[in-house]
Amino acid sequence: MAKQSIYQREIENLEQSKSFLKRSEYSKLELQLEFKKIVENYEELIDQVKIITKISDRLQKKLNRTNEALENSNNQLAELNSQLNETIDQLTEAKIGRRAATIVMMVAIALFIISEAFIEPQIDKMFSDNFIVGLGLKLVVAILIKPGEDFANKYMLRKARKKQLEDAKVQGH
Amino acid sequence: MDNLNIEGTKQTPEIDFDAASGILKISGRSIPENTFEFFNPVLLWLDSYAAEAPEKVIAKINLEYFNTSSSKYILEVLKRLKNILHDGKDVLVQWYYEEDDEEMMETGEDYEDVSGLPFEIIAVEED
Repeated sequence: MAKQSIYQREIENLEQSKSFLKRSEYSKLELQLEFKKIVENYEELIDQVKIITKISDRLQKKLNRTNEALENSNNQLAELNSQLNETIDQLTEAKIGRRAATIVMMVAIALFIISEAFIEPQIDKMFSDNFIVGLGLKLVVAILIKPGEDFANKYMLRKARKKQLEDAKVQGH
Repeated sequence: MDNLNIEGTKQTPEIDFDAASGILKISGRSIPENTFEFFNPVLLWLDSYAAEAPEKVIAKINLEYFNTSSSKYILEVLKRLKNILHDGKDVLVQWYYEEDDEEMMETGEDYEDVSGLPFEIIAVEED
């Protein structure tokens, strides 16, 4: 594939010199001319190597600097991304927390109404000390509010994170 | 003689050689997959152009980045311009670089030294 090489001319020069060497006889003038040609080619090659090496090193330096700048940008982007994710998490947590508190509060109100409307009359019928039992029941409901809220909060958060992961996978594809 | 126009791509420079006006422009990025395939028509055009070049030839080279094999071909382009200069024509190379691209400026200076052609090294503002 010598014809397709970027060193086509140099390869041709070398081939010519090799053919010259294969000759059985040379005159002094022919030798001088061939030697002159080889020296000129050699000089040109040295000039080329010098400048190409210099330019290549310089371009490599430029590429390296660009890579470093790119790496810095990537790091900054990763940091910003992590901050953004943290903020999104905090916002999601706050939103879910509010929703969980609302749900638990509504459940507590429903329980209170059920207790007042249906359970209290049954307690009145079943127990003689109905005030203590009724109070105890309301106390149990009140005590369960906080753990109920925590449970609802954790459950909803887990669900939201699962959804986020699924969304991320879909976007990744 | 026909002009030589090669549209630039992400990997190859734009070539806009106007035979009649003598304005030869090379611009963009030069990292071709096959440097020979890209530059050979350019060198062949310049070889034919030597005999038909006008009195003044200006080569405007504005490269953002080029690979090592392209640097060899730029040298070959300059060598052909030197031949036009030797034929008694007025040849000027305008080497453009982005103002903060010191490497490209120094590269222009190196080409000026090695080619022996008259050079103007011109800083341009970044886009």
